[in-house]
Amino acid sequence: MSASELAERVLELARGRGELEVVVQRERSSLARFAASEVHQPTLVDDTVVQLTILREGRTGSASTNGTGDEHLARLVERAATAAASGTPEQGLGLTPPAPLPDVAGFDEATAALSAGDLAELAGAAIGGTGDLDAYGFVTSGDCELVVRSSAGVEAAQRFTDVTVLSIAAGAGVSGYATRSSWASGDVDPAAVGRESAEKAQRTSDAADLEPASYRAVLEPYALGELLQWFAYSAFNGLAFAEERGYLAGRLGDRVFDPKVSIADDALDPRGLPKAFDFEGTPKARVPLVEEGVARGVAWDRVTAARAGVRSTGHALPLSSRSFGPLPLALSVAPGEAASIDELVELVGDGVYVTRLHYLGVVDPREGILTGMTRDGTFRIRDGKVAEPLVNLRFTVSVPELLSEVPGLTREVALVNQSDFYDERYPFGALVPALATARFAVTGTGSGPGL
Amino acid sequence: MKALCEAAVEAALGAGADYADARAVSRRSQRVETKNGRVDALSDSESEGIGVRVLLGGAWGFACDRRISVEGAREAARRACDFASAAPGAHARALAPADPQTGSYRTPVSRDPFAVPLEEKVELCLRAEEALTSPDVTVRSAFVRARRELRLFVSSDGASLEQELVECGGGIDAVATRDGLYQLRSYPSAHGGSSAQAGWEYVEALGLAEEAPRVAEQAAALLRADRCPAGQTTVVVDAEQMQLQVHESVGHPTELDRIYGTEAAYAGTSFLGPDDLGTLRYGSEHMNVTADPTTPLGLGSYGFDDEGVPAQRQPIVRDGVLRGLLTSRETAARIGSGSGGSMRADGWSRMPLVRMSNLHLEPGQGSFEELLDGIDSGIYLETNKSWSIDDKRLNFQFGTQIAWEIRNGQLGRMLRDATYTGVTPVFWGSLERVAGPETWRMHGLTNCGKGQPGQFAHVSHGASPARFRDVQVGVST
Repeated sequence: MSASELAERVLELARGRGELEVVVQRERSSLARFAASEVHQPTLVDDTVVQLTILREGRTGSASTNGTGDEHLARLVERAATAAASGTPEQGLGLTPPAPLPDVAGFDEATAALSAGDLAELAGAAIGGTGDLDAYGFVTSGDCELVVRSSAGVEAAQRFTDVTVLSIAAGAGVSGYATRSSWASGDVDPAAVGRESAEKAQRTSDAADLEPASYRAVLEPYALGELLQWFAYSAFNGLAFAEERGYLAGRLGDRVFDPKVSIADDALDPRGLPKAFDFEGTPKARVPLVEEGVARGVAWDRVTAARAGVRSTGHALPLSSRSFGPLPLALSVAPGEAASIDELVELVGDGVYVTRLHYLGVVDPREGILTGMTRDGTFRIRDGKVAEPLVNLRFTVSVPELLSEVPGLTREVALVNQSDFYDERYPFGALVPALATARFAVTGTGSGPGL
Repeated sequence: MKALCEAAVEAALGAGADYADARAVSRRSQRVETKNGRVDALSDSESEGIGVRVLLGGAWGFACDRRISVEGAREAARRACDFASAAPGAHARALAPADPQTGSYRTPVSRDPFAVPLEEKVELCLRAEEALTSPDVTVRSAFVRARRELRLFVSSDGASLEQELVECGGGIDAVATRDGLYQLRSYPSAHGGSSAQAGWEYVEALGLAEEAPRVAEQAAALLRADRCPAGQTTVVVDAEQMQLQVHESVGHPTELDRIYGTEAAYAGTSFLGPDDLGTLRYGSEHMNVTADPTTPLGLGSYGFDDEGVPAQRQPIVRDGVLRGLLTSRETAARIGSGSGGSMRADGWSRMPLVRMSNLHLEPGQGSFEELLDGIDSGIYLETNKSWSIDDKRLNFQFGTQIAWEIRNGQLGRMLRDATYTGVTPVFWGSLERVAGPETWRMHGLTNCGKGQPGQFAHVSHGASPARFRDVQVGVST
């Protein structure tokens, strides 16, 4: 039974129980994780999850199963109906109305056809790319389908593929990082990723300490992507906005960043991991969040939008994460004028160069303050050039302050994978350039590069 | 389901595996969330499937299938073997010997959480949340959760095990906002309340509604509190924040897979080396940490781990010296001691990893008040708000929801936005005292992330409040 047929079957079984919304997620994925240049954790997953939400007299309840037989589906209906009967009534929520869906890219036959053996070969290529250094990382590919059908007439279905290669090349006191993602395996060269990580690693030996202070800095796309992902959790989240715990609450229309900074959520961009609709069947569209430094909007799903008196922007998460609030999972930062990262390094003159970040934490969501560490490629910038390697730095930054003075961004943007593949697979990532900032607050130092 | 596991192991051996194990898991989860007087989420999920792990020519393979059928089990075994055969690298993996176990384990339960009507769960949340009502509290929320998991395990070594783990929990949060300030207070723990392996009696005993007025009052009071000042001072850390401190700066670094670098690509490695066992001074003589998957109510309790090794209590740090590591059969073989016992997988679709079970800071002596005695000037820190630690688990920075000034051995004014930072062995080396057993509290958390693809582990930590000297507090941008 196809995913769409399965959704239709659930609608049939639940007919008469109320307003119905069915979401089917099908996943066939492989992930070959390697360490010390050997694959040590391969995971091959084959799963289908069916979620049913019932709205009856203003009460909402949901249930899910990964069994697709009629007995599983009958139990699914009963559990969802029981949940719906136990809720509190709330008027005005309703189901998502049907709407035309955008045509998007995002599916590649060759990626869908990758076998376990193919994946092992790709992992071997990534490992080979690190040369004399040991490789740590993974190669993963997925062939997934998302279907949303409802009694309101929504009939949305999309099959999408994804592939990510991540490599940390490491040896005694050295480590470097690189990663590439795409929805087409032909766009990703695992050996090149391995080589990039090794090239970075070889420049990190004898890392120096650094005095905590505010520095000018260059953030590679990996670092900027992760910083914005964590900032977005509350800043661009409609629920956090409504509850006045997100940075943009009360600041729409205000200048919040340097005019060079524009951020949208754009799931339609074929350079990213395109999606046509969200987990409620609402069509995706480009949503401006910050335009030339001015706060313009946040992400909404059906329920948070209804309560706030606005329209959903198509950012409903999977049911299991819905209480987190709607999130922009396709952040897109407008490029700048710099022809290369080296040009940003020149603009910074004296400061620090950050390849990637590690273990971020939200210190104060209202003020957009995050902390975390740099890792696998941190360098001093002197006289407009990348200079000696540094130990891992602890930073504690106000993201709005970091983005308040931006000397430049690169013309080129990179797709940075932002999924850690918890729960059912739903690949997503951000399109980000490298960025130079005048304010990067280093508040401590940690261990050096390497394992 | 046991027959499916046997079929999978047989198929794997037939395909050339030197070792194989199969786990069939059936999981049901239920969650009720209320916010500002209405039900915000009401969900009930089921998931089942089989995961097959093989060792073939020294290489691992793992595949899973949601179908509870012989066909699905054999298909997963075949795919796992296919991958292991093709895996790049020179493999020489071995497993520490383990006596094949047969038996079962069940969580002791007085009231089955799934027999509690949803209406009762909703009512409990609404009542607790109502009790959070306060003028400056703008978001009141409460939740309860339950999970039952049936796990069958069969290995080619002869293990055949059945376990039923039942857990439930809940929590409340009060968000206070005013003039652009945002403050949060939680009970019984931050980031998802607290859960235990127990029946519904655990949730009823949490006393969510009874604690709510204090939680709301503190959230509102934080809006008017002074910001925690910056400086180096003596800190007293409450039991709950100590649990996080133990988790991040003792639990993860002592996972032997991290020490060997197999988690380098995601969660990171460790400042420890295998040779540090038995010699490394982790902290002061007051530091005693124990791993114990047999702890009653522990969210990380089990009869057998996901390699079929019996649960065993194990000292990790004794009198400040590193005495134990968390291991799998493979990593135990590498250090040539032990038999593993800390391997856990998230459901049926993930490969087991070295994980914490229940990891406790052992209590010291004396009351909370005695812990404050002799502190002329310091800070008391309570309930985690933010956390971050470096890839080797050395440099950490944690924030707490609330703090108080300590003056002349007494708690003084309330402080907001407190943070503290340190380096793991230096921080633990500054441990001056741990309060006694009467102050020891255990909470269970459900959001410990590790692995690629990601896995959540459910773990419990117990701790008493503890006192540290010369700690940097009040980090700012």
